Amino acid sequence: MNTSQSSWSRTAADTFAVLARWLLGAVFLYMGLNKTLHPVEFLKLVRQYDLVQSSLLLNTIAAALPWFEIFCGLLLLAGVAVRGTALMLILMLVPFTVLVFRRALAIQSALAIPFCAVKFDCGCGTGEVFICRKLLENFLFIVFSGWLLAGYGRKLCLRHTLMSCAAKTSLTEEGGSNGSI
Amino acid sequence: MAPGRWLAVKKVFLEAALVAVIGALFAFAANRVSPRGLALTRNYFPADINRPVPAATGAGSPRDVANTNPPASSPAQLLAVRLKEQGLQWVDGHQAAQLFHDPRFKQGSIAFIDARDEPHYQEGHIPGACEFDPYRPEKYFATVLPVCQAAEQIVLYCNGGDCDDSASAAITLRDVGIANQKLFIYTGGITEWTTNGLPVEIGGRNSGNLRSTNK
Repeated sequence: MNTSQSSWSRTAADTFAVLARWLLGAVFLYMGLNKTLHPVEFLKLVRQYDLVQSSLLLNTIAAALPWFEIFCGLLLLAGVAVRGTALMLILMLVPFTVLVFRRALAIQSALAIPFCAVKFDCGCGTGEVFICRKLLENFLFIVFSGWLLAGYGRKLCLRHTLMSCAAKTSLTEEGGSNGSI
Repeated sequence: MAPGRWLAVKKVFLEAALVAVIGALFAFAANRVSPRGLALTRNYFPADINRPVPAATGAGSPRDVANTNPPASSPAQLLAVRLKEQGLQWVDGHQAAQLFHDPRFKQGSIAFIDARDEPHYQEGHIPGACEFDPYRPEKYFATVLPVCQAAEQIVLYCNGGDCDDSASAAITLRDVGIANQKLFIYTGGITEWTTNGLPVEIGGRNSGNLRSTNK
């Protein structure tokens, strides 16, 4: 009874993780495509964060980031190098979220409005958004990425792990395909 | 940490590094072949990229509120200071309207240049204004340069407010040999123009499709 319940919950978790992987992949693909269609608009938005003073660095960020998001989105949709991609997404999402949060605080203090009433185009590829919604979205994306990083969402993958032999061995040692790192 | 687990962690980091490297290569290659790709070495913001931005030049612009420059009394004054630093002259809404109604505009001695992107230009521009997106200047030089060379006064505008595309366009034109004393930035931009109830032209230049913008 317990074994069947545990098996059912594992299957449900894995199915949900596959859906989360597809959702993440589709979102990153969509956001990346939006930016590549309007690269100058994205460049202007990146510039507003005052991250770098060099125009070469600014151009490099604005030129590469959207295509990199598309690349990660495609990997997730296809199920290739899922854990490595999920780690990359976390490494991108966390600093992006901090930057967006800081910018929203600056707007809030300038306009003296409630924090959740702050609405601006953060350069995320979805146009103007309310900050609380954006932060919640990013939090969910980070959670989903963490979930994929932990090894869930292996079904319907073309090649879940690139270094398959060694990785499989190590996961088997930990007692199952859903083992966490 | 158990050796097996450590190995798994190492593999994930290696995989992430591989994704980063291949992804970066893909990104730069895609940007290179894309017709909309950015030129990495071009300074797209000649107007102010290497300088702090004046405080509070536009409502709610975080870029403006985050800096520590001493406050100035009005956005218009700050804009004037910024343009002056770049050696650019400017006109206000009243002067822009006077130049528009001046008979010399019809003769080509006065030119208006719209420094916004194509969709915005097509939606409505100052009648007779030439389109010149400073982020894609090579696309417009062939049509804009003869107009600028023939004109004695060139009025450049974008959206107004904290938009500096008109200043970027002026600097781009100056860099290709248009005399600086001819160039004037209309600081209020198309926003002020339409607010003042002046007409706009829909579609291409001299399409004749005019629309009045009531106050």
